Amino acid sequence: MQEIRLQRFELTSSHKLLGGFLLACAAGVALIGSFPLQMSIATVFLFAGVHNFMEFRYFAARMPLKWGRSRAYYSVGIGGVVVLATAYLTLYFSSGNWLWSIDTWAAASASWNTAFVLWLGLLIYLRGRQRPRSDWTWAFPVAFGLAALAWIVPQYWSLSLVYIHPFVAMWFLERQIRRTRPEWLRAYHWCLASIPLFLASIWLAFASQPNLPEDTNLFWRISQHAGSQILSGISSHVLVATHVFLESIHYFVWILLIPLVDRKAIPWRLEQIPLLNGKGGFPKLVIAAFTVALVIVAVLWGGFAVDYTTTRDVYFAFAIAHVLAEFPFLIKML
Amino acid sequence: MQRTLFTLAAMLVFSTFALADIARPDTTPHHTPKPKPEKLIDTEMDIRLDSDAKEAKLLIPKAQIKSLRAALEEMDDDTGNTAAVTSGGLSRLQTIVSGLFLSLAMVFGGVWFVRSGKAATKTAKTAVVALAIAGIATAATFVYANAGPPAEARSITGKMFSPSVHMYGFGWGRVKLGVAPDERIQLIVPDPKDKPSGDE
Repeated sequence: MQEIRLQRFELTSSHKLLGGFLLACAAGVALIGSFPLQMSIATVFLFAGVHNFMEFRYFAARMPLKWGRSRAYYSVGIGGVVVLATAYLTLYFSSGNWLWSIDTWAAASASWNTAFVLWLGLLIYLRGRQRPRSDWTWAFPVAFGLAALAWIVPQYWSLSLVYIHPFVAMWFLERQIRRTRPEWLRAYHWCLASIPLFLASIWLAFASQPNLPEDTNLFWRISQHAGSQILSGISSHVLVATHVFLESIHYFVWILLIPLVDRKAIPWRLEQIPLLNGKGGFPKLVIAAFTVALVIVAVLWGGFAVDYTTTRDVYFAFAIAHVLAEFPFLIKML
Repeated sequence: MQRTLFTLAAMLVFSTFALADIARPDTTPHHTPKPKPEKLIDTEMDIRLDSDAKEAKLLIPKAQIKSLRAALEEMDDDTGNTAAVTSGGLSRLQTIVSGLFLSLAMVFGGVWFVRSGKAATKTAKTAVVALAIAGIATAATFVYANAGPPAEARSITGKMFSPSVHMYGFGWGRVKLGVAPDERIQLIVPDPKDKPSGDE
């Protein structure tokens, strides 16, 4: 006698992840595509500071108390973040006066980009040395090739960083899911695969839209940030919508998805932070750092409320530190 | 080593504060330099193919020189740095540094490829080779884009009017510039005897 088994569809947490992601992206495309400038202003106001705090919280939880074999790796990683961020801020705040000609500025900017990719190459190489039977010296030729591009097409290179940065968060999440929620991996890969479709829908639906108004300094800065000056042949409506959409996913990943995947990243669960609770840790320092970070988030909201344009400029200048800090932790997870 | 790194980092941190006192650039759209419109003079020109001419000549009537001089003086008042902003192409420094890094990429890539043997994974090797090919192909695009049009488009002769040159939409060459007593501008173009056929 043959047994007949009925396979029932069971709604798992993976299905909820996929469904929630697709719905959120669809709503995001419609809203951001229709009101790109307004959504750019709103998302930065609401999420920029919070997502930085969440990143800081995540990195603090991942930082080991004793570096051991990773001493060289973390020294280069943290040292690079400090030096590159400081150099970036120096370039940013000192540009535009009699000290700088256009050529000097271009050379300084390309030099910073070169230092950045060489630092990444070194980090990848150091990480490879920690893995048995692996040779990651390919990082150097790749870094040199990218450095050459930074000099050949500096404007496209800098713009590519603006668009690549949101994907770093998605990569982080992928690595984290592999570690702590492997059952979500397949659904998350489908989520990633859907992003090009959402982007294509933005481009198809809004490609014929006229350029966004640039009559205020803020609107001009938002369009310029998305590359309207460099990609002048493409409607700035599409560019800003694309950038805001990707940035929104980036915020969404750090604020919601990573804490869902990694319980150590839930902000109020402080007991699993080695630097805080480990033997020989620095509890006072860590608590102080978290307090300062929370105060900065509140100050950012106040600043946005008082003078949005200036606060936005200052925020994006200092935000380079979090962009840089992501790389050592991401490469460490490879 | 740690002390040196710490000192360097501290210097960079404090230099930020020191330089932060300098006024920030005014990057409002109103300050973006706009090129002034060209000064145009209405006139007429004769183009003549001359099989006896050895070189191209552009002869400008005396009467129009005065108008040009006035337009030139007006343009001299424009002291903007538009040329510096809009000049394209790679600077010397860019060429040298990018060439250096490309060479390093090839040298290190080659050494890695030879040395890696079994150590590197097949995926990593394939990825790097694909990246190298993509890089070379991109560079080749730049090189190809810089390739000049044929010789016919690089000298002002009757051949410039052939269909094979039309596809480029532009051409250039040496020309003698002079002043003539005529009322119209004259462009005399040498017309060599081995004329191209219409099929070219």
